[in-house]
This record gives sequence, C-alpha cells and structure tokens, in this order.
Amino acid sequence: MLKKADINKFIAAVMNNGYKVFGPVKQEDGVSLSELKTTDDISFDYFNFILPPKRHFFPWSELLYKYKDKTIHEAPLPEDKTILLGIRPCDARSFSFLDNVFIDDKAVDPYYQNRRDNTIVISLACNQPLPSCFCTSVGGTPAGKEGTDILAYDTGDSLFFEECSERGSSFLKLYSKFFSTPDQADVQAVKDFIAKAEKQVLSVNIKNAAEKLKEKFYDSVWDKLSFRCLSCGVCTFFCPTCYCFGLYDERDRRIRVHDACMYKGFTLEASGHNPRPTQSERMRQRIMHKFLYTVENFGKIFCVGCGRCVTACPVNMDIRENIVEVIG
Amino acid sequence: MSTKPLENPYIPKPVTIEKITIENEAKDLKSFRLRFVNKEDEKAFTYKCGQFAMISVAGAGECPIGIASSPLDEGILEFTIKRYPTGVVTTALHNLEEGDIIGVRGPCGNSYPMAGMENKNVVIVGGGFAFTTLRSTIRYMLHEKNRSKFKNITIIYGARSPGELLYKQELEEWEKRNDVEIFITVDKGDENWKGREGFVPAVVKQVAPGSENAIILICGPPIMLKFTWPPVLELGFTPDNIITSLERRMSCGIGKCGRCNIGAMYVCKHGPVLSYEQIQELSERP
Repeated sequence: MLKKADINKFIAAVMNNGYKVFGPVKQEDGVSLSELKTTDDISFDYFNFILPPKRHFFPWSELLYKYKDKTIHEAPLPEDKTILLGIRPCDARSFSFLDNVFIDDKAVDPYYQNRRDNTIVISLACNQPLPSCFCTSVGGTPAGKEGTDILAYDTGDSLFFEECSERGSSFLKLYSKFFSTPDQADVQAVKDFIAKAEKQVLSVNIKNAAEKLKEKFYDSVWDKLSFRCLSCGVCTFFCPTCYCFGLYDERDRRIRVHDACMYKGFTLEASGHNPRPTQSERMRQRIMHKFLYTVENFGKIFCVGCGRCVTACPVNMDIRENIVEVIG
Repeated sequence: MSTKPLENPYIPKPVTIEKITIENEAKDLKSFRLRFVNKEDEKAFTYKCGQFAMISVAGAGECPIGIASSPLDEGILEFTIKRYPTGVVTTALHNLEEGDIIGVRGPCGNSYPMAGMENKNVVIVGGGFAFTTLRSTIRYMLHEKNRSKFKNITIIYGARSPGELLYKQELEEWEKRNDVEIFITVDKGDENWKGREGFVPAVVKQVAPGSENAIILICGPPIMLKFTWPPVLELGFTPDNIITSLERRMSCGIGKCGRCNIGAMYVCKHGPVLSYEQIQELSERP
C-alpha cells in the first residue's frame, strides 16, 4: 500500500534514480500522460488519457538517420529509463499487442524494443468505466494485468500495488520503504472494487467475430458502413493498437511517422494502381485487420475496448455498432 | 528482457551505381548494376532468386524492387526499374548517373522454391517488366554450376512490342543454347520483327509445356495472370506447382508498416512468392 500523500516522495525517489516519469497531469482539456517535472501536479481524477500511450514506444514522428556528406548518420537508439504511471489496463494491454508486431518477430524493431526494455509500466485499475468503454467484450477487464509490470488500485486514500512481472517486483523491492503491508480490509476493498467496475462496462456481443468475418469479405455491408466515413483517420490516431507507419525522406533525413489505412494514399502505387481505392475497402481493412487478420497472425483481437475511436469520430461512427452490423 | 538486435533493419547500406543500361525503346526501364561500398555489407547481403530489396535515394525515399541479378553474380546487384512520372523514387533513380551512391535494404521476402525445382522440368512464363526476378532465376539455373540440377527448362516471355523486350543480349545468348527452350513473343511486331506475335496466354497454349514432373513460374501484369491461369491448369499443372510473385506498395519491407497485406498475408514478409494454391486460399482475390 502506498498512501497517496506519500506518492510525491516515492516519485521523487524514482526520479532520483535516473528515471523519466510520465504520469497523469491535469491540463486544460483533461488529464494527460505528461512528463512529471515537479512532483506536485499528479491527479488521479481521470477516466482515461485523451491520447493513447503508444507514442511512448512508437512516437508520432521519429528520426531514423540523417544523410550528410554521402554518409548515413544513424540517430542514437533511445536509452531513457522511463516510468509510465497511471496507464489504464486497456492501454497497458495494447503494449502486449504491439510487442507481437514489433518484437516477437524475425525482424525486431530496435527503436520500439529499446523503449520497451527501458520502461516500467505502472497501470491503474479503473474504478469508473466510461459509457464508451467495452474492454470486457474484447478480452480485457478494468483490472487487467496484461502488458503491465505493476497494477495499482485506487482505494481512496491509498494505492494498492500488485506486482505483475518480474521487472515490476524487482522495481518495487527497491522502494519498499514507501509501502506498507495491506491488511485484510484493503484486500477486500480491492476485490469489491474490481467486481463493481467490471459490472459497469458495456457488453458488446462479438463472439466468434473472426469466424463470421471470414464470410463477409465480399459483402455489401462495407459500402453501407463506409458511406458516412470521412476518411479522416482520427480513429487510427486515437487507437492504442493501430501501428501502421511510413518511412519518408525529408530533405537530408529519413523519418518514420504514423500512417493510417483510412487514407487513400496509404496503398496507392506509383503506377496509379490502388488495391484499396474506395473507403469501403479501407473500412473493411481496418475492421478485418483488428478482428480477423490479427487473430489469424497473433491469436488476438487488436482492439482493447478503450472507446477512443467512438468518442473521437467526427461523424459518430461506433466500432461496436459497426462490428455487430457486419457479423449480424 | 530481450537481447539487442545485431542489425537495425531500417538502415540502408550504401551502394555505388556501376552501370546504367537503358532497356527499352520508351526509355522508362533502366537496369542499375550496383556494387556495395563496404565489403562486409556485400557479404551480409545473401539473397535468393525471387527476393526483393528496398532501394533508397536520399531525399526522395524508398521503394521495393525485385532483384534481377542472380545470387551467383558475385560482387554485384542488379535491378531493373521502371520510371513512373508519378513515382518519386523511380523518377529520382532515373535521374542518377553512374558513380552515384544510393541505398539498399534487404534482402526482403521469400524466394522461388529453387530446391523444390531441382530434378524437375521448369517452365518460366514472364510478361512485361515483371520478368526481372525470373531473369534472376534463369541466370541462376543456367549457371554452369547449376544447369545439371534442373531438367528441361522452357521460357515463354512476352512484351508489348519488340522495343519493350528486356535483356535483349541475354535473350539472344539463351536462344543460342541448346539446353534451354525459349519462346519470345510480342503483342504486336514492327517491320523488322521476324519473331512470334500474340499474347502470352495464347503462346502458353500453343507451346503447351508438359506438366509431368514440372513446376511453372508465372510473373506478369494482373491481366496476363488472369488469362494465363486457365490454360496452365488445363495443361495439368497442379495449383501447388504454379508459382507467382505479387506486388504491393511497401514501406518497411519487414511486415510491420501495414500496407501490403492481402488478408492476413503480408506480401513483404509471407510473400512475394506464392503458389496458385496459396492465392486461392486468400480471403481477398488479388
């Protein structure tokens, strides 16, 4: 147990050991995951961060190398020791999905891997899900441990810390002086808390979605669904598991930036041929990728049910309704 | 946690353009003969027939191109590249001169089943400038070290017009050999053309290569593929012995950036070489 009143001391000690700490900081438009400069501005009064935390491992834009004097000068690989504090379990889960793409493969992505290796994730269980949340329908829970090193529960005055990985437990051992042993009442409070939160999460019936989607590739439902879509890509920007990117040259440098399957130019070839020429194919790609292709390739639905795409969509498209409409 | 990778897969290796050959009348197809600037990069770049690489031009970007040289062509790497007016990288490439330095990343993707082709009759069917990785394969099979490993080799190659045929000098050399049968066709000849006229699928029917103990590699534009499958199947080739190579826009070349997938299959990682059998199993018909 860590008393909330003591959290600043704990964080100061962590920072003293050379960690950059990113935690929930109150901003004008909500609480965001920001680097803690002083230890005073932490707020646990939030549902979830507006932006998904994927950018901490896979930044919006990243320099790969500069090209000068006919030579490639590689950008140094990121080495910062980092703590991400207050990540919601759905988002923490997204990290383990991204690991499948960037690490658990023949070709390892060194940028992602270095950041992941140097980062300890402390997630915070949800006591109050949002109406747009649906984590329990895609395999998560408000107190899920997947992708995290330490899971914290907010019990009011204190945070109850649970070790979820070897890295997490050896980290906590270093700071044991800040923690007290939880008593029976604390443990019971945590149990109640999980049960209550889980009941509040909206349930969407997407059972056997992958199997059903296999039959829907050439269905006219995609035309209907995509009719409203603006191709703006905001759903992919806000999605914690969307990872598509592009490598581009900018004058003397090569950068990597996020890209999105929602854009026409994403698959457009120099010859003019485009395998996904209309929004119908692109909508199908996004939903199929998340609910079928990743199931085939990694055994996972690449959606954590955070609901960001639902709240961000300018034309009120709701992936929960979409998927149900497609699989019928 | 995990060990650090030895190699950053996103960093191209420098190569010098040793020779540029204009391949066709329209002058939009050039072959680039490249040599690695560093010996250790050359050693590390071991490739197989059918693989591709990402070609970089500093300031312009990167694009995937099939390797046209044979793994036995020591010290050099060749690519035949079509320039598209809308293609930023291909246009930049065509503006380069011999001696210029570009970048190469790879090799990427899988390869033709060379081992599976041994002790078999091999039929090669190519159309247009999709002939490049087939040329790599032919060079490899006809190499004195390798020729005895393969039985009869039949090549059917077509282009729009005589001026659009690639690797003319090599074609002539192959025609002179008696250990390979080659049928060259053009959609429409000119006044000097004495050879065959007609589309590739029609020539496949005429030539009718035997499917007994045979494997067939087919590369060409989608329209050619579409009309070549039926006669090839009719000749008795089984779907697992019909091999082709796919193309898609790519950025990473290592199965991560998310562009080149056809269903759950990533052309850059699981392909580009697929059998007709595998293509039939895809949720999306390419």
